[in-house]
Amino acid sequence: MEIFKADVVIVGGGGAGLRAAIAVAESDPSLTIALVSKVYPMRSHTVAAEGGAAGVKKPTDNLDYHFHDTVGGGDWLCEQDVVEYFVKQAPVELTQLEHWGCPWSRTEDGHVNVRAFGGMKIERTWFAADKSGFHILHTLFQTSIKYPSIKRFDEHFCIDLLEEDGRCQGIVAIAMGTGELMMIEGKSVIIATGGAGRVFRESTLGGIVTGDGMALAYRHGVALRDMEFVQYHPTCMPITGLLFTEACRGEGGYLVNKDGYRYLQDYGLGPLQDQPKNKYMELGPRDRLSQAFWYEQQKGRTIEHPILGSVVHLDLRHLGEARLRERLPLIYEMAETFMGIDPAKEMIPVRAGVHYTMGGIKVDGKCAASLPGLYAIGECSSVGIHGANRLGSNSLTEIVVFGKLAGDEAANYVKSVAPGNSASLLKQAEAIEQRVTALKTKTGGTERISVIRKEMAKSMEDGCGIFRKEESMQATCDKLAELRERFKNINLDDKSSVWNTDWLMAIELDYQLDVAQTMAHSAINRKESRGAHQRLDGPDEAYKQRDDVNFLKHSEAYYVPGSAPRIAFGDVKITKSQPEVRVYGAAGEKADAERKASHV
Amino acid sequence: MSEQKIIEIEVLRYNPETDQEPHLELFKVPFTDDMSVLQGAQYIKDNFDGSLTFRWSCRMAICGSCGMMINGIPKLSCETFLRDYYPNRIRIEAMSNFPIEKDLVVDLSGFIEKLESIKPYIIPREPRTLEQGEYIQSPEEFNKYIQFTSCINCTLCYAACPQVGLNPDFIGPGAMALLHRYNMDSRDGGAAQRMELVASEEGVYNCSAVAYCSEVCPKHVDPASAVNINKANAAKDYFLRFLSPKGGSK
Amino acid sequence: MSKRKPYVRSMDGWWKKNPYFVEYMIHESTALFVAAYVFILLVGVVRLGQGEAAWNAWLEALKSPLSVVCHLVLLAGAVYHTYSWFKILPITMPPVIVGGKKLAPEVLTGTALVVAAAAGLALLALVWRIAL
Repeated sequence: MEIFKADVVIVGGGGAGLRAAIAVAESDPSLTIALVSKVYPMRSHTVAAEGGAAGVKKPTDNLDYHFHDTVGGGDWLCEQDVVEYFVKQAPVELTQLEHWGCPWSRTEDGHVNVRAFGGMKIERTWFAADKSGFHILHTLFQTSIKYPSIKRFDEHFCIDLLEEDGRCQGIVAIAMGTGELMMIEGKSVIIATGGAGRVFRESTLGGIVTGDGMALAYRHGVALRDMEFVQYHPTCMPITGLLFTEACRGEGGYLVNKDGYRYLQDYGLGPLQDQPKNKYMELGPRDRLSQAFWYEQQKGRTIEHPILGSVVHLDLRHLGEARLRERLPLIYEMAETFMGIDPAKEMIPVRAGVHYTMGGIKVDGKCAASLPGLYAIGECSSVGIHGANRLGSNSLTEIVVFGKLAGDEAANYVKSVAPGNSASLLKQAEAIEQRVTALKTKTGGTERISVIRKEMAKSMEDGCGIFRKEESMQATCDKLAELRERFKNINLDDKSSVWNTDWLMAIELDYQLDVAQTMAHSAINRKESRGAHQRLDGPDEAYKQRDDVNFLKHSEAYYVPGSAPRIAFGDVKITKSQPEVRVYGAAGEKADAERKASHV
Repeated sequence: MSEQKIIEIEVLRYNPETDQEPHLELFKVPFTDDMSVLQGAQYIKDNFDGSLTFRWSCRMAICGSCGMMINGIPKLSCETFLRDYYPNRIRIEAMSNFPIEKDLVVDLSGFIEKLESIKPYIIPREPRTLEQGEYIQSPEEFNKYIQFTSCINCTLCYAACPQVGLNPDFIGPGAMALLHRYNMDSRDGGAAQRMELVASEEGVYNCSAVAYCSEVCPKHVDPASAVNINKANAAKDYFLRFLSPKGGSK
Repeated sequence: MSKRKPYVRSMDGWWKKNPYFVEYMIHESTALFVAAYVFILLVGVVRLGQGEAAWNAWLEALKSPLSVVCHLVLLAGAVYHTYSWFKILPITMPPVIVGGKKLAPEVLTGTALVVAAAAGLALLALVWRIAL
C-alpha cells in the first residue's frame, strides 16, 4: 500500500479545508499538509453557496448586534463564547479573502458592499453577486496553489481514520483513478467534509454532500451534536430542490400565495413592508419562513401545480431586469434555463427544501474533537454557532473563521506530539482495505444501492420534515434500522478497480445511513420545538412549545456498533444572552427596545 | 397519466480493464420534460447498469463537473434537457481532446497542471495589512477583470479547442482566461511574471482563433478573447524588450 | 500495478466532425485566395521588369475569360474571408469601452464590415477615375 507521511491531514477540499490548509502553510512552512478531497477542490459544494458571508461592515453595525442576531436566530442553542469569537473574526477573515482576490461586489466608491439577509438586524452580508460561494471557493483554491507545502490528493476518497495510542494519526483513502488504497499518516487530522443533506430527497445540495466526515468521526466514538436540526430553505426549485438564494428577498423579492397575498404577515413577521426591512416579512429567518410555507399548504393557500406540486411564488418582477442581472445573475440564468421563466416578467414557483445540517461533529471552541488530534470545521462540525437554526450567510463566514483557527491549532498541536508507529498503523490500514474491498467484490447480494438510497431519503422526508410527530419519526427510525440490515445484502454492478463510482456510492450510502440514524434518533428524543425542529405532538401538544427547563441542551448522538445511536444531552454555554421569546417583525422590534431600556 | 415517453440514449462506454477501445451502448430511458441529460445518465446508473461512470455534483451548472459531448457538442449535462432532443436519439461521449479514463470520465490532470502553472493568485502590487482594510477598486477597475472570474473550470473550452487536441501541451483557453483575470486585477502586480508563459511554446501562439471555446463556454467568460488579447500583449512585450535597456519584462 | 489505461482518441479528420470547424476551415482556406491574388500581382511586377512586351502579354492574359472567372472566384473568396475575419474580430481585440460599457461584438463586427466596404468602394472609385 502506498504511504504518504504528512504532519496535518485535511479531509475535504471545500472552503473550510482550503482555508485550514493555507493557515497551516502560513503558520509553519516546514509542515507537510495532505489535502484529501473526493473531488477536485473547486467542485466542492461551497461552490453552490449564493447569497454571501456575514461580517460587521457598516459603521452603524456592531459585533454585539451580530452576536444577538446569531444567538436569537439559533433559538439560544448556540455556544455563546464561540459566537463572540466568530463575530469578532468575521470581518478580518472576509477582508483576508478580499486581499486574496475574492471579487466581492462593491459600492460606487470602490469599497466592499453589503446586502440585507434574513434574520440580520443590519445589512452585513458581503456578497459577490449571487455566486459568493463560488468566488470564495475559487479564490481559496487558487490561493492555495501558492503554497508548496500543501500536497493535494484530488479525487481521493477517505474511508477511515487511523487511531493509535488514543489519538487520531491519519487516514486511509481510495485513489479513485486507480481504485487502489493508500495510507496517509498525519499527527493530526482535520475533517472538513461538509454537510449531509443528501440523506433527504428534495435538497439544494450536490451529490457529494453525503456526510462522510460526520460518519467517520462518529464511528470513532466522537459525538454528533444537534443532528435533529436540519434547515429547510424556503425558496427552492420544486423537484430538483435547486436553490434560489435568500438574496432574492434581501434585494426586495416577495413571497406570495395563490391569492397573490404576502402571507408572511400572518406568521408573526409583519406588518407588511414595501421596502425590504431587516427581520421583517421576507427577511425573517429560514425556519420561520419554511414553517409558514407548510402552514399555507395546510390551509390550501399554496398553488397546486400539476407537475411541480404545492408551490408559492417568489416575485422578483418589480426589481427590473437590469438590477436582477447585476445582483442576481445566477438566479436569472437558472430560472431561464431550468424553468423557462423570465424572472423580470414572471413569478418563480418555489417550495421549501433541505439545505443545511446545523449539527455535526462535536468540537470545542478551538475546533478540537474529543479524540485527540482530530479537528472538524465547517458544515460537518458543530462548533456551536448555529444553534437550532442557522442564519443565512453565517456559514460562509464560518468556513473561513474556523478554517483558519483549526489550521493554526493543528499546526501547533503537531509540534507537541511524536510521530506514530508506522508499522502498526499500516496493519490497521490493511485491515480496513480488506473490509472495504469485500464490499465491492462480494457476490450473491440482492439489494441495489439506489433503491436503499431512495427509500432512506423518502423516509427522512416523511419523518424528519419541517414538522414532526412521534409516530412518523418512529417509523423513520424503524425504516433506517431495516435499511441498515438490507445494506448488508447489497450487490454492486461494478466490480472493477478504475473509477468505480458504484463502489464509492455504496460507501457513501453506508455513511449516510449512519448520519440519518443520528438525525432521526436525536429528533425523536427532543421533546420540544426549537428552531428548525418543530413538533406537533406531545401530551396536550406540549412539544409544540420550546422547553428551556428540559431542553436548553445540545443533543449528542454516540455510535453503538450494530445498533441505533445512544442519545445524550449536554449543556449549552450562555454568556450574555439569556433565552427570551424569539420574535421577529414589529414584535421583534418591540422586544429589542425593551431589552435596550432594561439595560440602561 | 399521459403515456410515458422513452428516449434512446447512446453512451460511449470504455472500461480500461476489459476494453481495447470505446464502444457505443444504447439505453432506452423513460423521461419527463424536466429531466436533464445528467438525470438521464443517473437513471441508467440507478436502474440499468451501476457501472456507468461519470462525474457530477451540484446539478446547477456551477461546480463544473458534468461536462460531456452531447451529440458532438461540449455541454454541461445538468443544464441540457432530454426534451430538446426527443424523439431523436441522443449520443453522449466523454469530452473530446482528453484521454478517456472510463466511460464519460476523462483525465483532467493535464488541465490542473496548466491551471497551477499560471500563478492563479494575487501577487500584490502594493502589499496591505488586514488592519488597513480592503483594497479600493473603482467600478472601471472591477469591470476589467470580473468577466474572467466566472470560469467554473468545466473544461468544455478544452473539449472545443482543436489546437488542444493537436498539441496537448497548449496552456489552453480556460487557464489563459484565468491568467488574464489576475493580470487585469488592479490588486495584482504579477503580469510580468506570467508573461514568459504567455509567450512560450505552450502559450497563446498555439491559438489559431477558431474561437469555438467562447461559443461553448457556459458562463460567457469568452476565453478566446483572453487568449487573443494576450497575443497582442506578448508581441508588445517582445518588441519593448528590444527598446528597453533592461530587456523588458522577464 | 495500476489498472489505468487512458484511451486517447485520434484527431484524424477532426475538422469534419463539427460544422463550426468546417466553417473555420473554409475561413482559413479562403486566405489562400487572397494569397493567390497577391501572387498574380507579383507576377505582374516581374513581367514589368522584363520589358514592355512581357508586361503587355501579362495584361493580355488578364483579359482572358478564364482569368476573369478566376478573378471573380478570388473576389468571392476574399469577400468571404473579410466577412468571417471580422466576425471573430471582437474576440481578437481588447474590449472597447464606450460610456463605461463594453461595446457589443455585433457593433464591432458591423462597424468593421462597413469600414471595409467603404474602403473597397473608395479604392474602386479612385482606380476608376485614373483608368478613365
